[in-house]
Amino acid sequence: MSRARAAAWWIAPSLLCLLLYWRGFTAWFRADDFDWLGLVLRVHGFRDFLAALVTPYSFGTIRPWSERVFFMAGFTLFGMNPLPFRVVIFATQFANLALMAAIARRLTGNAAAGFLAAIFWVLNSALVLPLGWVCAYNQVMCAFFLLLAFYFLLRQVSGGRSARRYEILQWLAFLLGFGAQETNLVYPALAAAYTLLCARKQFRRTLPMFAVSFAYLLVHRWAAPPQRTGDYAMHFTSGMLRTLKDYWMWSVGPAYLWTPFRAPAWLVPFAVALVSLGLLTFLVREWRSGSRTAAFFLAWYLIAIAPVLPFRDQRMDYYVYIPVIGLCWLGGQAFARGWRMAGRYRAAAAAMALLYAAMVVPRSVGASDYNHRLAERVRNLVEGVAGAHERHPDQTILLEGVDTDLFYNAILDHPFRALGFENVYLASGSGRNIAPHPDWGDPAEFILPPDVTAKALDERRLVVYDVGAPLLRNITTEYSGRPRSAEVPRLVDAGNPLEAYLLGPEWYGIDGDHRWMAKRATLRIGGPRAPGQRLYLRGYCPAGALRDGPLSVTVTIDGAPLAPAAIHPGENSFALSYPLPPSVVGALEMRVVVEVGRTYRVPPDNRDLGLAFGAFEVR
Amino acid sequence: MTIDRRGAWVLLLLASFACNRRQKVEVQPTIEEAAPALASSVHTRDPKSAGQLVSGFHQIEANAWRWTAKSFAVALYPPAGSGQKGATLQLKFTIPPVVTEKLGKVTLSASVAGSQLAPESYSRPGQYTYERDIPPGVLSGNSVRVDFQLDKALPPGETDLRELGVVVVSAGLESK
Repeated sequence: MSRARAAAWWIAPSLLCLLLYWRGFTAWFRADDFDWLGLVLRVHGFRDFLAALVTPYSFGTIRPWSERVFFMAGFTLFGMNPLPFRVVIFATQFANLALMAAIARRLTGNAAAGFLAAIFWVLNSALVLPLGWVCAYNQVMCAFFLLLAFYFLLRQVSGGRSARRYEILQWLAFLLGFGAQETNLVYPALAAAYTLLCARKQFRRTLPMFAVSFAYLLVHRWAAPPQRTGDYAMHFTSGMLRTLKDYWMWSVGPAYLWTPFRAPAWLVPFAVALVSLGLLTFLVREWRSGSRTAAFFLAWYLIAIAPVLPFRDQRMDYYVYIPVIGLCWLGGQAFARGWRMAGRYRAAAAAMALLYAAMVVPRSVGASDYNHRLAERVRNLVEGVAGAHERHPDQTILLEGVDTDLFYNAILDHPFRALGFENVYLASGSGRNIAPHPDWGDPAEFILPPDVTAKALDERRLVVYDVGAPLLRNITTEYSGRPRSAEVPRLVDAGNPLEAYLLGPEWYGIDGDHRWMAKRATLRIGGPRAPGQRLYLRGYCPAGALRDGPLSVTVTIDGAPLAPAAIHPGENSFALSYPLPPSVVGALEMRVVVEVGRTYRVPPDNRDLGLAFGAFEVR
Repeated sequence: MTIDRRGAWVLLLLASFACNRRQKVEVQPTIEEAAPALASSVHTRDPKSAGQLVSGFHQIEANAWRWTAKSFAVALYPPAGSGQKGATLQLKFTIPPVVTEKLGKVTLSASVAGSQLAPESYSRPGQYTYERDIPPGVLSGNSVRVDFQLDKALPPGETDLRELGVVVVSAGLESK
């Protein structure tokens, strides 16, 4: 291979990747990104730093390198500037492409197969989110450690004096991979599958790694027990086969079988079936000829996809990002072999490759563009609100016109907390424009009640912005002139200074986003609209307050006591609910008295502390 | 050129400091409202006038009026020529029965730009207009603050957590 061809062999897949996902490279932050960007605010010392590295967050994930260190370092050094993050993401992906090509060349003995495998992976629509959404970097980094460990395994298998050194390096890459993502635990199965099929003498050397993965699994389940309900609950049922079928379709064809072409509904599945048939035919021929490499490629796919199959209700297109590497290797090998055979085999190989590209490239480009445009909307809102806060630093900001996309991508994960302010709310009525996704979050928690809004406007403590255009527009005066509701709110946030007028004089001042009560506290809240509605109390009770056993919490409504309740040791973030008497149904307001069984003190603070709130809600 | 180890540490610290001083996010411009012009007279029921109710006013009630606290203040635009000729201050308000029942006689006084106006006492519930002449030379500029003071008010209680003075409908300056 000439020097120019060698350079092209290494560089061309990366250049194509940059070209195809340029919209991803230039995309801003969105959604979960903000949660991770704000993580650094929890760090005030070395102990906090360690806790931030390993405490399970976000549905029980523990990914120190790919999420914690990545975001904390990036935000500390560069703030909300996505470019440095993107440089790291794409650099890792370029390394992945080089490793992938090198591995395929070693396994098949064919440089073209390696090159084509990398190209096929670049085209696949599973790359859109890992490259375009910063918080999905864990996928890219996990692929890096898996490919790196496997590359070292191949070097080890090829023997020689360096074999031992490569085995150590393989172990290092394997162990470091646990800091990237949980999928790393499948590496022993990948290594075992390869050695079993292609290098049986080395098989036994892979077995100790299973013990490490098993230990990781035990520790992970102990630290972050699996969820039993919701999107991330695992379902070990026959439905996993249906999930596998769907992921296969999204791997060989476009994610969600989406196509921009006006085509009959059967066309894309039919094309997926054709390409799948081509791959499986090649696989069978290879098996019959005694070569097991193609079988390993399929095994890679099945082993890497296995951990996500139980997530019946959480199917994401980027979950095939790592598994599909196996199919791309298989496709690269099949194409290279078919092309070399000429005649109808060459034609079939070319047709399959073109069919694959025609299916996946429009999806990759379209989804990347959609992601970019969505992130731009988020950027306009977050940077616009930052501008509004700069102009009105002492006023709360109310946003009008937030829709579903903006809420779940720009509001829910508290982007403003990372910027040092949190007093941003949605205008009442915003809930009508936001599609409900209870597992993601509740818009009601961000909506400022009409009564609170009216009072805050009258006191000039609120500015209102319309977010319907790229530049935020101040509509405070116009908004003030709209008809008002004088209803006492049914959701009272004790930590919101604008709602202090609903609280009695017994409450202490605000501490950050919460407010302490002493032994007894009062407040006003709107009565239930219908029978059966309950009063919910959400807040925090430190472990110190529960050292002497359960803490009784007595609530009276308009003088009538409700059923007694208690907070038990371990229930530090408490949520209590009380049935409401029929007499208060339809009441414009209720007077609520909360009293705890005892108070406690935390020197040097000499206040008698009861509970920290939190919210009161009637629903 | 070589940099010794201490120099390298200093550079590293400076770089770190510089990075930490960076703004955490680019700030976008916003389309702001033009500053609202003040009116010479305000109706408390009008939300657009809220900006002129400087302090001591509670929420709009019944789309018609607002309760005040014991002290309250408004900002008004001095009418044309009021600096030379003076003006008349008018406060239209109601004393609800509950106020006189619990407090008896209440006295209202006012000051305009620091100049005291004569107080007036009310011992019966009803609608009143507190009207006072403001002499020439007191009013000037684009804004004047008028402070009102009651000698008594209903303290926050079981049924209403607010301090309640009188119910104000409007306040204004009229040129002479």
